[in-house]
Amino acid sequence: MIRTEELLLNVGPQHPSTHGVFRIVVKLDGEVITEATPVMGYLHRGTEKLAENLNFTQIIPYTDRMDYVSAMTNNYVLCHAVEKMMELEIPERAEFMRLIVMEMQRVASHLVWWGTYLLDIGAMSPFLYAFSDRERILSLFNELCGARLTYNYMRVGGVKWDAPEGWIAKVKVLVKDMYNRLDEYHNLVSGNEIFLSRIKGIGQYDAKTAIDYGLSGANLRSTGVKWDLRKDEPYSLYDRFQFDVPVGKNGDCFDRYECRMEEIVQSLRILEQALEQFPGEGDTMGKVPRVIRPPAGEIYVRIESPRGEIGCHIVSKGKAEPFRLKFRRPSFVNLQILPKLLVGESMTNLVTILGGIDIVLGEVDC
Amino acid sequence: MKGMLKGLGVTLKTMGSKKVTMAYPDIPIEMPDRFRGIQYFEPDKCIVCNQCARICPTDCITLTGKANPDPEKKGKVIDTFDINFEICILCDLCTEVCPTEAIVMTNNFELAAYSRDDLYKDKEWLYENNSNIREDNNNIGSPKGGAK
Amino acid sequence: MQHFWDQPLSWGTAGIFAAAAIGVLAFVIFFVTYAIYFERKFIGWMQYRQGPNRTGPLGLLQSVADVAKLLFKEDTIPKKADRGLFILAPVLAFVPSFAVLAFIPYSLNLQFADLNVGFLYYIALSGITTIAIVVAGWASNNKYSLLGGMRSAAQMISYEVPLVMSVVGVVMMSGSLNLRDIVIAQEGYFWHWNFLPQILGFGIFLIAAVSELNRTPFDLPEAESELVAGYHVEYSGFRFAFFMLTEYIYVYAIASLTTILFLGGWNPPIPQLDFIPGVLWFFLKFAVIVFCLFWIRATFPRLRVDQLMGLAWKVLLPLAILNIFLTALGIELIG
Repeated sequence: MIRTEELLLNVGPQHPSTHGVFRIVVKLDGEVITEATPVMGYLHRGTEKLAENLNFTQIIPYTDRMDYVSAMTNNYVLCHAVEKMMELEIPERAEFMRLIVMEMQRVASHLVWWGTYLLDIGAMSPFLYAFSDRERILSLFNELCGARLTYNYMRVGGVKWDAPEGWIAKVKVLVKDMYNRLDEYHNLVSGNEIFLSRIKGIGQYDAKTAIDYGLSGANLRSTGVKWDLRKDEPYSLYDRFQFDVPVGKNGDCFDRYECRMEEIVQSLRILEQALEQFPGEGDTMGKVPRVIRPPAGEIYVRIESPRGEIGCHIVSKGKAEPFRLKFRRPSFVNLQILPKLLVGESMTNLVTILGGIDIVLGEVDC
Repeated sequence: MKGMLKGLGVTLKTMGSKKVTMAYPDIPIEMPDRFRGIQYFEPDKCIVCNQCARICPTDCITLTGKANPDPEKKGKVIDTFDINFEICILCDLCTEVCPTEAIVMTNNFELAAYSRDDLYKDKEWLYENNSNIREDNNNIGSPKGGAK
Repeated sequence: MQHFWDQPLSWGTAGIFAAAAIGVLAFVIFFVTYAIYFERKFIGWMQYRQGPNRTGPLGLLQSVADVAKLLFKEDTIPKKADRGLFILAPVLAFVPSFAVLAFIPYSLNLQFADLNVGFLYYIALSGITTIAIVVAGWASNNKYSLLGGMRSAAQMISYEVPLVMSVVGVVMMSGSLNLRDIVIAQEGYFWHWNFLPQILGFGIFLIAAVSELNRTPFDLPEAESELVAGYHVEYSGFRFAFFMLTEYIYVYAIASLTTILFLGGWNPPIPQLDFIPGVLWFFLKFAVIVFCLFWIRATFPRLRVDQLMGLAWKVLLPLAILNIFLTALGIELIG
């Protein structure tokens, strides 16, 4: 009889597949994980606490840095919460601009996910394919608001910049090209038998577990629950557009992959319609008091970020600074199911499952 | 097998296609006009209203004013104006609130330095940083709207 | 030429032998340098990139600069490592990889050792490298490298079996294990080459060979996204360079073997083209194989450990045995 011992392996915080500074302490029996303890907080910057000393305009650049892959939706959730509290009217053109950049952001964010997920699984090329296309979206953002990652684009009451000359036409070209690029992506990996065998049936959970853990986004939809805040609680102008909510069946990594890939297509559909209906004239900033002081009270708004339901809870005492600001970060919530999923899986599947959840560490640690 | 062959076809096709790499350090990148690089500061325009220092989310701007040396005129003139680039996040809020466009963004983005001391940019440095100044500053008070 | 190497050893011949060995080493290192360069170039082009183009004209000196960097790097040995084994492992990996090159026939007359058990010699020596990788994984005293070393041992031992089995068909057809005789048996038009009658064996050989090389999609021992760098996670400087060198020399050896066993060695595709020297044909075919390795690396994701084992034992091995039976039947029925 051979005496075997469990191996305590420290994955992270500088492991290449933890997508940042995330750490998982796993107990390995051979290559099978018997216990996994996620350790997070390496990127904690105390955004929520810092926000208590900042006024609402100043908080916007901080939200950029939470989910830095999808800064536009973060900007939006804060502005949306404040606007709802103050019952502000947003000009239609501003709302269109917001919606267009948010959907572009969703495409860019899913591209990052797609590229890095394939990189986790061992294919090198998809990463560069995805990034070369994301680069086009970021260049458009750069033209629009002067930054490529931390946009600080939205303001309470509207957006900072109107679309520059020819920008809308460029987005139209981009949307058209993206359909072709997606075909190429599917040709490159989606049919690859090695890839399919790596993700089918891995990290499976059912709808009940997903809801119990509070999952949202593609992690929830992959189990067959049709829940998309853009459809179920329409905010912005989403009720004006036709789009489907892709759902999976089995709740495994493959369904999550399919859902996200289909979400890109749906985002492109929304973009097509939004660009078609884009108003030719109009203000990009509504009538906003010089100092933004939401009335005393509380509000919770939630929107659909690329990673799931991002919520913003503001407690105001009628001052220019929030009394308490709390973000419900989808990456953080989605991550909670990880220890449960990892038990009994191999080291290889750890990477597949963690990548499939799609976390951004800036948002997990906030 | 079919999926794998398709993938091989894609990579082979890409081999002959146009490359996206930019020859960056050899050929400088032209940033769009709205790009937020390091600020340009014009002391003559500054009215020491302190708005930039107040709006800055990271408190990286410190400024002091002094009484106008010309006794005929009222108000203050800028004495010192420092931006700590260790913590500046280039969020654009200081240029947005500046009523006189004394502080504006430029397109210069190469900020790397060998010493942290080099990152403290004072009034003189910021005044000399006068290339690639952003034209459209869209600061509060200017007419809204703009191009379609 | 063969008689030359069979001369009794004297001081004079020993000197020539040594010079020839150094010549081969220089040639192989030249190959490795530019294999890495072209690998990076090709993969770059396949990913909308340029690949290395900064060092020297067209980046041709990139690998030279990399090697120079590795040689000048500080030689670090982890404090808790098993010092002796840690130092031994890169050497143990490299020596057999170089020794296997002795038997490759590049053309009818250009060969160093005309071994009657040519192919078995390769398998036997390349097995030693597996030990070296396990030793490296163990001696580093790092959990990632241990896992990488264990994976490597399991993988390479598993895939050696179908690798050998797939060649049995070729050996039966030519009636010899001697690589020169195998090539001579493939003379004629390109449909006389072994890859057509032995198409099954060819497929199995290719898959098993890529796996033996630890290259994508079988690069589990050094799977970057899982095990950081696998068995050589603690190695740096010239010790790491030795592992890299070993890996690429095996690419050289496997590409040569595939050419010899299945693609007719130095034979031209149609005999009318035999005015072109055989060595050129050999290296043309060789280059195609090496390119395919790069191409696969740019496209495929990685397999999982259990799938990898399953593929070797449940798919490739039965198919290889089936191939042997089919070959035997074919020889019996067709002649």
